[in-house]
Amino acid sequence: MTDSARARIFAAVRRASAGADADKIERELASFGKAPGASLPAADLCTAFLVNVLKNQGSADCVSNRSGAVKAVAEYLYQHFRSLRLVAGNDPHLAAMPWREAGVLPRFGKVEAGEPVTLSYALLGVAEIGGIVTLTGKANPAANNLLSDHHIVLVDSTRLVPDMEGAWEVIRKEIDKSGRPRGINFIAGPSSTADIEGQLVYGAHGPRHWHVILMGEQPENALEKARELAGL
Amino acid sequence: MTWTVRPSARGSDGRSHLKQTSDTFLDNAHEALQDANKVQFRDLLASFTPLVRDAAMDQFGQFENLRQHVKQLRQHSLENLDHYLTRFEQEAVQNGNRVHFAEDGDELNSIVLDICQQHNARHIAKGKSMVTEETGLNDYLKRAGLQVTETDLGEYIIQQAGETPSHIVGPALHKSAAEIRELFLEKHDLGERDLAETVDMVDEARQVLREHFLNAEVGIIGANALVAESGYSMLVTNEGNGDLCANLPNVLIICTTIDRLLPRAEDATAMLRLLVRSATGQPHTCYTSFYSGPRRVQDSDGPLETHIVLLDNRRTEILASDYSEMLQCIRCGACLNHCPIYAATGGHAYGWVYPGPMGSILTPLLTSLEQSSALPNACTSCGRCAEVCPADIPLPDLLRDLRHDETKQKLSPVRWRLGMRSHAWLARHPGLYRVVTGMGIFALHLLGRGKGSFSKLPLASGWTSQRDFPAPQGKTFMQQLAAIQREDKAREQKATRGKEKKPTARKPGKDGAGRSKERREPVLKEDWARKPDPENPKTAAPGKARAKPAASKKAKANPGGPRAKKPPQRQADD
Repeated sequence: MTDSARARIFAAVRRASAGADADKIERELASFGKAPGASLPAADLCTAFLVNVLKNQGSADCVSNRSGAVKAVAEYLYQHFRSLRLVAGNDPHLAAMPWREAGVLPRFGKVEAGEPVTLSYALLGVAEIGGIVTLTGKANPAANNLLSDHHIVLVDSTRLVPDMEGAWEVIRKEIDKSGRPRGINFIAGPSSTADIEGQLVYGAHGPRHWHVILMGEQPENALEKARELAGL
Repeated sequence: MTWTVRPSARGSDGRSHLKQTSDTFLDNAHEALQDANKVQFRDLLASFTPLVRDAAMDQFGQFENLRQHVKQLRQHSLENLDHYLTRFEQEAVQNGNRVHFAEDGDELNSIVLDICQQHNARHIAKGKSMVTEETGLNDYLKRAGLQVTETDLGEYIIQQAGETPSHIVGPALHKSAAEIRELFLEKHDLGERDLAETVDMVDEARQVLREHFLNAEVGIIGANALVAESGYSMLVTNEGNGDLCANLPNVLIICTTIDRLLPRAEDATAMLRLLVRSATGQPHTCYTSFYSGPRRVQDSDGPLETHIVLLDNRRTEILASDYSEMLQCIRCGACLNHCPIYAATGGHAYGWVYPGPMGSILTPLLTSLEQSSALPNACTSCGRCAEVCPADIPLPDLLRDLRHDETKQKLSPVRWRLGMRSHAWLARHPGLYRVVTGMGIFALHLLGRGKGSFSKLPLASGWTSQRDFPAPQGKTFMQQLAAIQREDKAREQKATRGKEKKPTARKPGKDGAGRSKERREPVLKEDWARKPDPENPKTAAPGKARAKPAASKKAKANPGGPRAKKPPQRQADD
């Protein structure tokens, strides 16, 4: 870069800008209000979240507590790999899970190339997009979201928000507490592409399979109802 | 401000740019129409892509409200770009980035190469970025001995084929699965295999590109938005390739432009609601990521060094012009998918990086009107692009204004300009216009009586080379209207005379004149304008109904400027 390029660009931008002061700009921005959002497919947040997860070609499990979550992870691993190994970030929530109850053998840290399955603990689930949020860091290496074939995500039902605005509210609080993370990742489904003749194929560069385990209090038969609403 | 004729700000040294062939659009289009299979596939895409977009918008249900909300945000951001750019730079630097400014494509390329060379990088993994297509970054880096690998599947395919993107969202949609299969069999040394299904080809590309992700020393990505309040940049992908580029290599370079700025994170995700639905018909992309800078001390992965290169490349000129609305484009590709010209010719005919309606405006603005004077004419004025544009850009109006600039700057053919000038002169003399057109129509009517149409016609070969020109039926519209008016007036006078003679003889319902008047009285536009209906707010004050909003600051600064700002016309039309 040359400093003169910066100076010239800024000068040109200033010439074309309205020249309003910061207060006026803030007031005008505030006057726009909240953006219209998408309506949810169900009144209940858990069901709505699950419907959109399924529509995004994710798979889902619902469990009531941590023991149930460990069991669900074990079943998923056994079903797909006949093994109980996985890689998980150094998240205290995951470290505190009763893995021994189901014989799961997590390795905590960053995924290495060739390791087939990773587990993340979501900061949030967002019903509007049927997706989850992770913040990069020691607890959530970004590679764990991307390099494995199967990505399992644990979502606490108390951490569901209806929309993106709700998600930002929580993320802002998190940033106030711990500073800006390097990456904020919204993930809504397995990796996909339609670059060959517009045909949708799952498993482009990221995980081919995306499995969400919703843990904690939730309406009875939420998953069955979600499947029905998702047309599955 | 009129868009001036001047050579492209870039490429004077011929170093690194995509060869522009926009000036031969008609020949390119003609050539594109020769391959029947491709034409058929483009037709299929053109019928399919609008359907998925419409279905997504219908399900969302608030397209217009959201579009106006995002438009306000984008306008506000661009009007106060000095404020937001300053804020973004401060925050991005605080986040640990190095922020670079590039006035043109060469400068961006040179900045990126310098960074790569400082790190002795040899392998570059690159995410999809139309900005770097604009600057010709790949060729530039390759000439310096670097191995650049496009990682978006579509971009990878066309890179292997030595081609350029035909669509800003689906760059390889012009290639058939069979062609891609042949390409992969030729380029990937992986032994004998079928690659019979699309899923096999995707799988092979995944396998090949995974190595590139893991070996790259530098990752290069674009940005769908820049968040001023926090210095984050937003990256939206379905494949996850952009995120792999952003997270695995030790150095990350984000190449983007100054017009991507939005005030807050919420604004970026509000725009995202429109972007994804407009682009692919999805409610949300698989991966939406916000990156702030290099890896933190406690992080277990991520780049050690991050750079953000902000390109101008004439965008500040566009910002100061009456074409500034074009900077609100969010690059969704909806206007391409809905354009009958794009559907017919495909993207390559446009001869540069950006095709379709948005490309027909951006190309002249980013290169020069002289180099791309055919593009603003590649429009049927059908208005579909403006209807679906999530940024509510009046694309047909901007195209018309570019045509206007072209005529004023004598870039269009002399014959065409003479014709336009003659027509304009004639149109300003309505009496003469009616006489001349009346004679012309009558002559054509006589000549075409037998067949009912013409297969050849002087000065209209553009029409008759493709289809017959229907022969006029005898009289012009104005002549027919005048005849009706004369007839009605005669009936009215007759009725009045009858009334004077026999005031009680009039039988409502059987009086031909009365019925006829009610049925046939023509309502001329001028009469409508002159006779305001106090109960109709639109006609009560016609001047107000079609009034233009306050002139922009630029128009005020240049009161004699040839163009008025665009939005008013749309408002009136709506």
